[in-house]
Amino acid sequence: MSERVKTDMGGATAALDYDAELMLRVKEGDGASFGLLLEKHRSPVVHFLYRMVQNHAVAEELAQEVFLRVYRSRSSYEPTAKFTTWLFRIATHLALNSLRDGKNERLQERLDDDSTDMPVRQISDSRPSVEQKMVFRARLEEVRRAVAALPEKQRAAVLMHKYEEMEYSQIARVLRCSESAVKSLLFRAYETLRARLAHMA
Amino acid sequence: MKCPIETRENAEVLLAYCTRKLDAESTAILERHMEICPACREFASGQRSVWEALDAWEAAPVTLDFDRRLYRRIDREGSWWNLLMRPFRPMLVRQGLPIAAAAGLLVMAGVLLERPASGPSAAQPQSAQVDALQPDQVEHALDTMHMLGEFSSRVRGDAADPKM
Repeated sequence: MSERVKTDMGGATAALDYDAELMLRVKEGDGASFGLLLEKHRSPVVHFLYRMVQNHAVAEELAQEVFLRVYRSRSSYEPTAKFTTWLFRIATHLALNSLRDGKNERLQERLDDDSTDMPVRQISDSRPSVEQKMVFRARLEEVRRAVAALPEKQRAAVLMHKYEEMEYSQIARVLRCSESAVKSLLFRAYETLRARLAHMA
Repeated sequence: MKCPIETRENAEVLLAYCTRKLDAESTAILERHMEICPACREFASGQRSVWEALDAWEAAPVTLDFDRRLYRRIDREGSWWNLLMRPFRPMLVRQGLPIAAAAGLLVMAGVLLERPASGPSAAQPQSAQVDALQPDQVEHALDTMHMLGEFSSRVRGDAADPKM
């Protein structure tokens, strides 16, 4: 199997990841491999989508669509890139479409603000005071607003760089742009975030 | 060291430093530079604040029925053909053979009905011509041919005898 996932990428033969192997097994009809992929990537995909659209219900709905598309594409799957590149390309595409369609805002009207459902990281003491909690919530809200204010592509680039720890080259493949364009996107995004969040130090 | 903040390309080094992805040697060089460069110090400090602020933003855990909902959607998609055929299934199971026979008969009837419609239209003009020829017409034509033959042989005989 490992021989099969070696593919030619821009002239250089590269051995692909274990996820691609699993996906090739899904292609051969192995449902258990799809379960493994889901187990491994469920949380990163949902969390990425949540930070993109900032609504948990919408994020889960979009994540369902991501995995559904992965499953639907199993018969035509070819491991020409890292599995996560493909996965996050689908996720980013769906998130950007959702943001452009304004579906998120319409749903937001119907759903309660889920910012209160977010886990609160305890600052120093194991049992933070009410005041500490309030301060933390206010700071968190500020972070959310600062990220939401970023242009969509910059936001996607920052989230992949910060939370998924992707390399510039992989982000470039996900966003279908050059590596230098990604560096530029990130530089501008962090510049904006520094201006808005530096006082939080 | 050239100040990394001067160009966007070099700022990548500062970003890597703030995310602790810079190798030890480059980190040491950058830290020496930052001791004398307030702009880079400010950049790094601001970037670290952003990094920590983003760290605090945790996403909620995925709901427990996520997989169940997904597999239900997959099953629903996979069985659309079954759903489409469901109303016809009892009929197909109980009366499969008679339905197949009836379908076969319909196909055969269609083929047979199609065949005579195309045959006569092509053959009709030939048979119409044959019917139009009467026996006396043939006899008359043969008589005429015989007379013409006799006439031509006499004409040839006169031409051969110069005395006449």
